[in-house]
Amino acid sequence: MSAIVTTLEQRIGRGATTQEFFVNMGPQHPSTHGVLRLVLKLEGETVKDVIPVLGYVHRGVEKMGEHLSYRQFVHLTDRLDYLSALANNWAVAKAVEKAAGIETNERIETIRTLVAELQRIASHQLWWGVFGMDLGAFTPFLYGFRDRERITDILEETIGARLTMNYIQPGGVMFDLHPDFQRKVKEFIAYFRPKLEEYETLLSRNIIAQERMRGVGVLEAAQAVALGATGPVLRASGVAHDLRKSEPYGVYGKVEFDVPVGARGDCWDRYWVRIEEIRQSLRIIEQLIENIPEGKHLLVKPAVRTKVPEGITYSQVETARGVFGVLLVSDGKDVPYRIHVRTPNFNNLWAITRIAPGWRVADLVTMISSLDIVVPDIDR
Amino acid sequence: MDVSRMNPIVAPPLRRSGFFADIVAGLRSLLQGMGITFRYFSHPSTVVTQQYPENRATLKMFDRYRMRLSLPHDENGFHKCTACRICEQACPNGSINVVSRKGAVTGKTELDRYIWRMDSCTFCNACVMACPFSCLKMNGDFECSVFDKSLLVFNLTRYAGPTSTVLMKVENPEERRKLWEPRDVYSGPLPLRGTELPGGGKTLGKPEEPARSET
Repeated sequence: MSAIVTTLEQRIGRGATTQEFFVNMGPQHPSTHGVLRLVLKLEGETVKDVIPVLGYVHRGVEKMGEHLSYRQFVHLTDRLDYLSALANNWAVAKAVEKAAGIETNERIETIRTLVAELQRIASHQLWWGVFGMDLGAFTPFLYGFRDRERITDILEETIGARLTMNYIQPGGVMFDLHPDFQRKVKEFIAYFRPKLEEYETLLSRNIIAQERMRGVGVLEAAQAVALGATGPVLRASGVAHDLRKSEPYGVYGKVEFDVPVGARGDCWDRYWVRIEEIRQSLRIIEQLIENIPEGKHLLVKPAVRTKVPEGITYSQVETARGVFGVLLVSDGKDVPYRIHVRTPNFNNLWAITRIAPGWRVADLVTMISSLDIVVPDIDR
Repeated sequence: MDVSRMNPIVAPPLRRSGFFADIVAGLRSLLQGMGITFRYFSHPSTVVTQQYPENRATLKMFDRYRMRLSLPHDENGFHKCTACRICEQACPNGSINVVSRKGAVTGKTELDRYIWRMDSCTFCNACVMACPFSCLKMNGDFECSVFDKSLLVFNLTRYAGPTSTVLMKVENPEERRKLWEPRDVYSGPLPLRGTELPGGGKTLGKPEEPARSET
């Protein structure tokens, strides 16, 4: 930068200087993925500092939860990380089941695992498309959405909703699997494996995309852990932390899959980890789809307001973006005394303050996109 | 944490071999990517976009698709609702209001109006799940846009009049039909005063028209 400054001074004379200035990126910016406002401290086009400003979609979900029964609260979690609605539902269901001592059966857990993994793929497909678009390639966006539509259709047939699903309930799931579910999922896997290779050819092996990701925005493992980053962001920094492995819930303990981790923690690693996670999710689904155990799909009467004994319960699941945790504080009533939600994106967002300084604004867009941020999840 | 159980697979490094080799490999990667684009371009049958307003006649929503709440009536105009208010309590944001009355003859509580506010409904299906008589259904009728928010307050009971026990005693269906008092689906705070609903009133005025998913 100093080289440019001296050149300017030499050219113009009269002691022309550059100065630092502040620019708002967002809240209405196409590549901030929602109403996220980043205040950038710039020197020329070099980012000196990034200050995220939050609160544009704050809805007070935690406070609302204090007036809703546990079953009613589930539908609010759809609206946090809307791309992992099922995993969020699951976290609440798991917490309530743990606190109230509700046992679930094998079928319920298998259904939950299947739909959550399907949605993880759908979420990563959407991310892949949007990531391509943020790099300046519009084509991946179309292909990503085309294949995501297949999963959305499968889930829509069983669940009845495309985005805000409210499917996994304390004590079971809302509907039983649709009779076509197994056939359609098998068809999807057969369809999607070649398409994933296409994704690789289109974007992963593209030299321009590679050069824009390689070495950009390196997040050290120690920094990632200190920030509390989870999910692919943490794993790309080389920390093999995956709740599905370390404290298996659902039927993750019975299936085989690997945990992809990055080597350097740059944008390329975050990209690669997510693409590889799609493959691992396909592996999990393939192992489970053949024999889904028989049983009831809902063990609690839907009209009953579940009462939770006094105490504090915490449960967490691994969503497509990281650890989603729910803390229930109960005073023995049918509504929680306090409900706290730990969302992965809030912690992942702050990685941008560590990795962005020193890079250009165009690289900042790549970095935000590689963190895969969903803004309603940050503000909640 | 037991790291050995993790089976981590580590990201491979991006290989760079040399200046000219990279140029050749890079150009090839670009051409391969363009090849995919041109393959789809030259095969229009692979295009999957739905032409929505044009395909309305053939568009079929899934049976479970959750959209407009409905209180299915049988061919005699009866519904199974007993005004127990369980759905009202199950609703997370007060979108349902069950107005009950004392039956003129029987003296029992019966449903007068079933008011559903679509403007605050989140389609979470809690009311349908909670109903002990399975008298509610969310159907796939998704074309519900209006120009005025107050038009999103619906009355799901189609008829008012004597209770079913009284009505059943009337043998002649024509006579029975005369005892009903037809209700407007619209029950918002503003009276309609005969004005046409936006969009020709087609969606709002005919709730009995079955949703496409059921046909």
